[in-house]
Amino acid sequence: MQRKTSVVVEILRYGAIFLVLGFFVFPIFWMVLTSFKPEEAIMVSPPRFFFTPTTENYVHALHDKNFLFYIKNTLIISVISTAIVVAFGSLAAYSFARYNVGDGHILFFILSTKMMPAIAVILPYFLIFRDVGKTAVGKSLHLGLDQHGALIVSYVMFNLPFAIWLLVSFFQDIPRSLEHSARLDGLSRIQVLRRVTFPLAAPGIAVTAVFTLIFCWNEFLFAYILTRKAASTVTVGVESFFTLQGILWGPVAAAATISVAPMLIFVLVMQRYMVRGLTFGAVRG
Amino acid sequence: MYSLVDVHKRYGLRTVALRKLNLDIRPGEFFVLYGPAGAGKSTILNLLAGLTRPTSGDVRRDGASITHLPPERRNAAMAFENYALYSHLTVAENLAFPLRAAGVRPAEIEVRVKSVAGVLGIPHVLDRRPGFLSGGQRQRVALGRAIIRPADIYLLDEPIGHLDAKLRHRMRAELKALAVDMKATIVFTTTSSKEALALGDRIGILNAGRLEQAGTAAELYDRPANTFVASFVGDPPMSFLNVSVRPAEGGPALVTGDGQSIGKAPSGALGRGGLKAGVRSTALTLVDPGTPGALAGQVEVVEHLGHSSIAVVLSGTDHIQVLLPADARLRPGERVGLRVDPTRLHIFADETALATDAA
Repeated sequence: MQRKTSVVVEILRYGAIFLVLGFFVFPIFWMVLTSFKPEEAIMVSPPRFFFTPTTENYVHALHDKNFLFYIKNTLIISVISTAIVVAFGSLAAYSFARYNVGDGHILFFILSTKMMPAIAVILPYFLIFRDVGKTAVGKSLHLGLDQHGALIVSYVMFNLPFAIWLLVSFFQDIPRSLEHSARLDGLSRIQVLRRVTFPLAAPGIAVTAVFTLIFCWNEFLFAYILTRKAASTVTVGVESFFTLQGILWGPVAAAATISVAPMLIFVLVMQRYMVRGLTFGAVRG
Repeated sequence: MYSLVDVHKRYGLRTVALRKLNLDIRPGEFFVLYGPAGAGKSTILNLLAGLTRPTSGDVRRDGASITHLPPERRNAAMAFENYALYSHLTVAENLAFPLRAAGVRPAEIEVRVKSVAGVLGIPHVLDRRPGFLSGGQRQRVALGRAIIRPADIYLLDEPIGHLDAKLRHRMRAELKALAVDMKATIVFTTTSSKEALALGDRIGILNAGRLEQAGTAAELYDRPANTFVASFVGDPPMSFLNVSVRPAEGGPALVTGDGQSIGKAPSGALGRGGLKAGVRSTALTLVDPGTPGALAGQVEVVEHLGHSSIAVVLSGTDHIQVLLPADARLRPGERVGLRVDPTRLHIFADETALATDAA
């Protein structure tokens, strides 16, 4: 009897898993499928699962629309933004976690900058970057409209608070005695950070980097308003497929698939660190 | 010599960890800090290590103040109670860490790591990370990391507290031998009185941030400064009788609550109320009930320890622990007489808990 019940439970469990998985994976599956469909097979009803695959959508996206240009922009902007966010975020989070800087008030204030919707600040940002871009400093740092610097600054502004909050808890989880022990072994404060604290916080830093990069990669509003062509990112690139003649669904799917690929690879690489963090994270018990 | 001079330590506004504490730790001695949890043991280690500073008072080394010397310049080694192992490094790398930091040559590091791992019985886990070790193994790695390099002072915070009984016994012996070998100054904290007595050249007894008494095991055993110390040294612990001074033939006598005399009152006890007479189980002899001059009592519990037994005897309202030979056949409920050796009584004035010099 016991055995039978557990078999039923197993079947139900796997059924539930497939259901949930299907729910999340199907849109991606459909996107990839669509990207290989000839134009006439895309919008038909009922939807078709079997067709003669074609690469014409990829040719259109990569060749006619030069989509790699958007990928390059996105890569530059996201990677630099993420690097800045992680570097400053870790240092800020460390001091919040260890020295309780501002007694919690500053930490809360930082979060409060996330409380308004991005749309509320987009106009001021537009005006600021327009004017800053005309100054000497703004020119040298590419901070003007339709320049990479403007988007990087915006993304750092919007991701840093979240990154700090995420990292503070990771640093709090590292017992002080680990740092104390290293101090006693003769390391200075800075050496302790480099050789003990940051290696131990690596999983948390990896998680933060992944989140930040994903946010930057997928951001649309700022990219749409602050760029026109030269610094446009993939989301804006895909949008440009919505033409007056109609939406080019095939190329859109191909471009979207190309945009997702680097993120997928990056997350898979980082996953190793994140999982390792979970397995080896038994600092205390 | 390390000294704490009038050290007061407060955490926040309310929590007082140490109160006006004075303590000397002599070069080359194995000093054990004993006390219940929260007594201030770890705070003393942190002060010696430089990880925290006293609220007031001074930490000195050979007479010179080191209160403001940062930990990396004190040449102290410490084993932390929560192990503080680097989870991103293997056991071997953890052990090597202090040597690497000190710039020791890699070849020598390997030799030292192997030798320490051998002493601690963990050579088979050198390639593992701390996350895959048992509590006892982690604790040994923590201890190993502390003793692997020469230091001026070794601060060991309950380094064998989480081992199982058998291993703890072995590590105790190893540690004692190691201490003699290294001629090192060691400060060791523990909540086990047995461990304190077994290891310490001298023992400091802490209670609620106060140093109750510091001295050798014999000093603490023979001349306990107060009831807290008295009940700590010795197994079974000292029993206390509530006594008062009454006039009697041949001078004032100490009398228990139910009127039985246990001997002459010492001069210091005269005119003081609320006295306690401490008596060790070895100062008691079991006699037939009704023997003149002996305390009458009734056996409540008998604990068999193998080589001996301990009987808890209720006399009046006081519980007295008596050590018995293993072949003594006492049953709960039995009436017995206890003869007290009057020369081995410790008298305390119970409010101040101070020794008033036994007769």
